[in-house]
Amino acid sequence: MSATAVHAGGIADHIHPEPQGFVRRYIFSIDHKIIGIQYLITGFVFLILAGMLAEVIRTQLLHANGGFVSPDVYNEVYSMHGSAMVWLVIIPLITGGFGNVIMPLQIGARDVAFPWLNMISFWIFPVAGLMLFSSFLIGAPVAGWTEYPPMSLQAGPGTSMWAAAIFLIGVSSTLTGINFVVTMFQMRAPGMTWTRMPLFCWAQLATAPLLMIATTALAAALAALFIERQFGVPFYDPTKGGSPVMWQHMFWFYSHPAVYIMVLPAFGMISEIIPTFARKPIFGYKLIAFSSMAIALAGFMVWAHHMFTSGLAPYLQLPFMIITFIIAIPTGVKIFSWTATLWGGKIHFTTSMLFAVGFVALFTLGGITGIFLAAVPFDLHVHGTYFVVAHFHYVLVGGSLMGVFAGTYFYFPKMSGRLMNETLGKWHFWLFFIGFNGTFLPQHWLGMLGMPRRVPEYDPQFQFWNDFSSISSYVMTFSILLFFINVLWSLRNGKKSGPNPWGGRTLDWQIPSPPHYYNFKNIPTVYGLPYDFGQPLPYKGLEEELTDSPVHVGAHY
Amino acid sequence: MVENRAAVVSLGRGFWTVTVVLGLLSIVGIYYWITAPMDRIMPVVGAQPGEQVDELLRFMAASGTALFIYVAGYIVYFCFAFRAKATDGPDAIGVQVHDNNVLEFWWTLIPTLFVVLLSILSVRIWYQIQVAQPANGLVVESLGHQWYFTFRYPQVNGEVTGEMHLPVNQPVVLNVTSSDVIHSFWVPAFRLKADMVPGLINTIRFTPTVIGRYPIICTEFCGTDHGIMNAQVPGENGKPNPGAEYVVVDSPADFQKWYHGWQVKNASASNALPSTSGTISLAGGDAAAGQALFAQKCSACHALGPFSQRIVGPGLKGVLHDPSHPNLVDGDPANPADAAKILQQGYTGDMGHMPDATQNGISDKDIANLVAYLASLK
Repeated sequence: MSATAVHAGGIADHIHPEPQGFVRRYIFSIDHKIIGIQYLITGFVFLILAGMLAEVIRTQLLHANGGFVSPDVYNEVYSMHGSAMVWLVIIPLITGGFGNVIMPLQIGARDVAFPWLNMISFWIFPVAGLMLFSSFLIGAPVAGWTEYPPMSLQAGPGTSMWAAAIFLIGVSSTLTGINFVVTMFQMRAPGMTWTRMPLFCWAQLATAPLLMIATTALAAALAALFIERQFGVPFYDPTKGGSPVMWQHMFWFYSHPAVYIMVLPAFGMISEIIPTFARKPIFGYKLIAFSSMAIALAGFMVWAHHMFTSGLAPYLQLPFMIITFIIAIPTGVKIFSWTATLWGGKIHFTTSMLFAVGFVALFTLGGITGIFLAAVPFDLHVHGTYFVVAHFHYVLVGGSLMGVFAGTYFYFPKMSGRLMNETLGKWHFWLFFIGFNGTFLPQHWLGMLGMPRRVPEYDPQFQFWNDFSSISSYVMTFSILLFFINVLWSLRNGKKSGPNPWGGRTLDWQIPSPPHYYNFKNIPTVYGLPYDFGQPLPYKGLEEELTDSPVHVGAHY
Repeated sequence: MVENRAAVVSLGRGFWTVTVVLGLLSIVGIYYWITAPMDRIMPVVGAQPGEQVDELLRFMAASGTALFIYVAGYIVYFCFAFRAKATDGPDAIGVQVHDNNVLEFWWTLIPTLFVVLLSILSVRIWYQIQVAQPANGLVVESLGHQWYFTFRYPQVNGEVTGEMHLPVNQPVVLNVTSSDVIHSFWVPAFRLKADMVPGLINTIRFTPTVIGRYPIICTEFCGTDHGIMNAQVPGENGKPNPGAEYVVVDSPADFQKWYHGWQVKNASASNALPSTSGTISLAGGDAAAGQALFAQKCSACHALGPFSQRIVGPGLKGVLHDPSHPNLVDGDPANPADAAKILQQGYTGDMGHMPDATQNGISDKDIANLVAYLASLK
């Protein structure tokens, strides 16, 4: 155990026996892998619910005069769709889910720094999720996921429930952020310097401070909203001296960084998947790691670009516009680096790789329209229209959700020991890719031509492209159904994967699938970079890891 | 540990061919965006500076298209050219290149230069919209309600509904606010939008350039019938819906005709005298005492500046002598009696909320003093 001795954290020598009871093992587990999988399962359940709400929206918009549901129900539906997708699906899946399962394995740790805290973080999440959905019973929030007052002050009691639920989710996020930062600072295996850390961990390291710092602003805003609604203390009501614009500042001070919370970990997964299947080192490792941090930092300085029409002093618009433009530079660097990683590779087109490559293309498009929106003169035209809807769905569905799918196909074998079905996976990818673009591409010109967002009915001249969008969305939803069938089928019937089905070189692939309770029998020592294909593995101390399970190094898919 | 930085990398003919092809495609894309008629993706321009916004869109769309063609093009090409073939063994690896400082320098520098260029262009057009518009235009106000818009004009009493007429080629200063929740005033043909925030006055400036009838659309969610605050959405049974309102750009003669029509139509509204309950005697009001009281009771919410200088309530300089605001906030003519009425009964409405005399702790004598002081402000 010499490697363990040099390990700085105390946990390495402090190994409890694996709990045997079902409850302690799978329900109130403190094992980061189980907690991560709990996050993933819960997040996917909420994805199904929020996805059904999305289809109510698209079905309503099949006809220019609506008619599928009443305007009031429609308002509840899109508000809950947005809230659930952001707080119950993407953020938990991508931070709590993949971050928990993979990050400790990649840095050679036996768990996160605070396993009990991790369990608490998780269990807040389904409780808050149920609270959020139960607001449907008492009149769900109607003012969109942004819940601008005074509208959100007038709406039914569900809005208070919404505020309380999102507050709790924020607590969960903050705790996870703290946990991850401490884990990555304190528990990297010996020899894993910052510049040898896999890029997925770098992405989580950039995300965690956003979770810790930005979420507190949201918590304050939500607490004020809750207090004003329940006890009448006027924070936002202008007739009593409150300021509705203050909510917008505080909300976006959180929610713009939240956009990066939702996409940086996906960047991280893409940065693992592309080199693995191209059999090449990631191009420009340091610049990719650095650009994640630059994006996270700049992400705090651009929030008011969501508020160009809100009555910001005109001169204040300029710094927000220009800093937003500047974020395009590190983002562009990442996109170019991923593209360059493909060059000269031996590319294996697994489903995971298809989603990763699709991610790069679609995220590029979403990034470009983001620059459009940052330009004040153009934003004054398209703010609050379907152009905005199209833009953020390209970033959050074409980006984050594609990243989640890529990551699921990639890490499913690590979590379950089985491969997902590739044929079904490819159907999933192509139907999703076509359905997604069909759904959201037309919304760009719908918005520019004059279709506002959050409306249950619209100008009849826009009917054709709305129908096109709705029908495409059914294709997209069907593809996601295939994904869930694939997951359930593969859990029982998937091919056995062995520890390293993709030929990955990071530490997570060097141990059994699924890993043992404390991950590593001995904490390994790291000697080199994570993506040097064709070289001997840069780790020592892994000799005993695979002695009790069959060894499959290299591709066998 | 072996570093492969020095590995000789040859891009090959295929790469350069693809680069040239993508370059040609990009030129086609850029040419399209420079010359394409905008009316397929943007409404017809009805006001200055709409043209400049479209120019900015052309620039962004052209450069975005070129960028996307290159990224997507290279991705597709690399995916075909470098896919693992059946003949490659399971251990076949790609070219082990870690990075290339020259390449990374250029692909950081070029986006940086693009950002500088885009910033310059955007700031120039921003200046046109936000700063350079003539300040002495026709001042019009629009108020958002659940779920319709109303308009106010100088020297027209009360509110104008249905259509907001503007004379062609005359600069307009449009102040917007709301009487309830946040709305947003958008005329797509003008490329301009301002949120109507209760308690806040937002301003947009533009010059209508094309005679026509342009729908107004609310773009901030404002409750159940948000969807019908849009003149393009038909109402039930083919009738226009209650929130369907337009900006109508007229010739100056037509505008004058319409304007006089509303002056006449709303004239009676202005003549209605305030019906105060328990009239206060304003005789013997002491302006100096009123001034002291104002500093103590009123200045937290009211500035001694022009109407637009708002703290919570409007600025009160010249409140009883302001030709552009012939009425007080309750819609009645600005005279001492009406000012006294507001002081006595308080006010809740479009402009916000002001407590009544009991809540403010002011007596009838205090009101007389305050009115004398307000009347003395010119």
